[in-house]
Amino acid sequence: MKQLLNQKPIILLISALLIGALLILPLVVTNPSLMQIFILIILYAYFTSTWNFVGGFAGVLPLGHSAFIGIGAYTSTVLFQTYGISPWFGMLVGGLLAALVGIIIGLPTLKLRGAYFALATIAVGEGLRVLVENVKEVGPFKLNGPSGISLPLTESAFMNFQFDSKAPYYYIILIMLLIVLLLTYFMMNSKVGYYLAAGGEEPEAAEALGIKVARYKLIAMLVSCFLAALGGTFYAQLMLYIYPKSILGLDLSFEIAFIALIGGRGTILGPVLGALLLRPVSDLTRIYLGSSLPGLHLVIFGLVLIVVMRYYPKGLVEPVKQLLERFIHKPARDKANNQSNPSSRQE
Amino acid sequence: MLGIIEALINGVLMGSIYGLTAVGLTMIFGVMKVINFAHGSILMVGMFATYWFIKLTGLNPYLAIPVVVPLLYYFGYYLQSWVIRPIFEAEKDVREPITVIIVTTGIWYVLDNLSLLFFGAEYRVIKTSVTGKIFEFYDMYFLLPKIIGAGITVLCALYLYWFLKHSKMGKAIRATSLDREAASLMGIKQSKIYNIAFGMGCACCGMAACVLVPFYYVYPTVGVPFDIKAFIIVVLGGLGSIPGAIIGGIIVGIIENVGAQFMAATWTELLLYGVFLFVLLVKPSGLFGMKQDF
Repeated sequence: MKQLLNQKPIILLISALLIGALLILPLVVTNPSLMQIFILIILYAYFTSTWNFVGGFAGVLPLGHSAFIGIGAYTSTVLFQTYGISPWFGMLVGGLLAALVGIIIGLPTLKLRGAYFALATIAVGEGLRVLVENVKEVGPFKLNGPSGISLPLTESAFMNFQFDSKAPYYYIILIMLLIVLLLTYFMMNSKVGYYLAAGGEEPEAAEALGIKVARYKLIAMLVSCFLAALGGTFYAQLMLYIYPKSILGLDLSFEIAFIALIGGRGTILGPVLGALLLRPVSDLTRIYLGSSLPGLHLVIFGLVLIVVMRYYPKGLVEPVKQLLERFIHKPARDKANNQSNPSSRQE
Repeated sequence: MLGIIEALINGVLMGSIYGLTAVGLTMIFGVMKVINFAHGSILMVGMFATYWFIKLTGLNPYLAIPVVVPLLYYFGYYLQSWVIRPIFEAEKDVREPITVIIVTTGIWYVLDNLSLLFFGAEYRVIKTSVTGKIFEFYDMYFLLPKIIGAGITVLCALYLYWFLKHSKMGKAIRATSLDREAASLMGIKQSKIYNIAFGMGCACCGMAACVLVPFYYVYPTVGVPFDIKAFIIVVLGGLGSIPGAIIGGIIVGIIENVGAQFMAATWTELLLYGVFLFVLLVKPSGLFGMKQDF
């Protein structure tokens, strides 16, 4: 916490203003569909931040993140549908289940080269989608195969995780995002974070220093899967309808990975920046051109990705940071110049 | 019993075509240590090229081979040298080149969705002189284009194997895949080898596309199932191994076709993922993989 407050006052001020603006946003914006776009930006920033634990810090490329999001969404939904258990509780169950699956996959694959990990996660993500599409029910739980589940509508209440207006959803996902960003910050500045950074860059050297790289990668995987599943429950409650193609499978996984890489993987703000830039592209092209030009937003995503990787391989957070630093340091430098000038005149 | 033998042979036929796409993938990986996620999309490009060639000229479908295969070779060659190379070189010293992998997924999305924009989502079939022809053998029925396709594929793989083992360029490619630094000390120009390997990998897709079009649908996302199968095959056979890719392809074809005799076709897909994960967990180097590659 001390480290956090040790930042330059102007950075703290900017972040305070930003968070303040985010907090009052629902009071200003009343249009529900605009609100939905904001919620989705924050939700994707959240998904990508959870991806970042593995994809950004552990130095591997997970391409099946939707599997864990889907586990979260389906777990809380079937528990609520079958037993009326509050989605808040189902959220935790889904998170634990996803973490368990994450360990089972990560244990053997995190020791392998990055390419194998990417392939294994794709297989898990796609395999889970095919499985869910093929299964009508598991024991008492109805999954309905490819047609998906419509959540039973209930009265607007906190325990039911269903609300009449968009504002509660907005605040919930905002708080979730802030928590994940704080967690990311603390992890980056902790022993685990340093070990992961070392293991991601030079696994042999790190192993030689006695760091059990695979174990720390597994910890990152566990945290990432747990948090991703919580986001999945939120998605289910927001949309009130889930089906395998929407929440499992390749498209969501790739969208998350694209956002992370364009924003800047392995940084705190990269995922947020990426979501802020790419989500509106996808929403707006879908709204205005979706019927006449299907798939256009994915062409744009792909092209942006290729161009950004070509010129800013560390993501767009890099140039933005430089721009900000110039902006922040400039007044300070001017002040320093002004102070030095009179003193020279006195002599 | 006859049904199972029929499925087995069909599996071998289809599997050798899967194997050819996987040969392209494994070759690119062997040389560049990069998994080309856009591989299925390149197959899709090849299939659309073949489709339009046959549709516009009305010639025998296999006459598309001398047009489409070089086309795909140069497509891959310039894709690598213009789009992938700058990113690859920036990341040359990194042990696990993640950025390049993600750029190939970017290419995948661009190609698939561009073809969706241009050609629409409908499934296209083309009637050629071999389409729907049946070959009968002891009360078992096989599609003639599948048999021709598998034959061409096997010849192509054998030629490729000979090329890599005995030709000068093939030796240079193998040298680069074994040790980049040592190879460039021997005067082998690396970037050129990467372009050629990528081009040849794509040419394999072009060949597979030519033999697929006479009996398969063409649509913008046709590459995705082939892509995923190619990943499964290369891991099964061992990343970087050409015989492994062909044998892996045949195994996948057999699992798919024989499995469909006992369960719904969608479940065989799941069976493939299961086999894939099992191999990854038990023997990640696959059947013929080199130990240094994982």
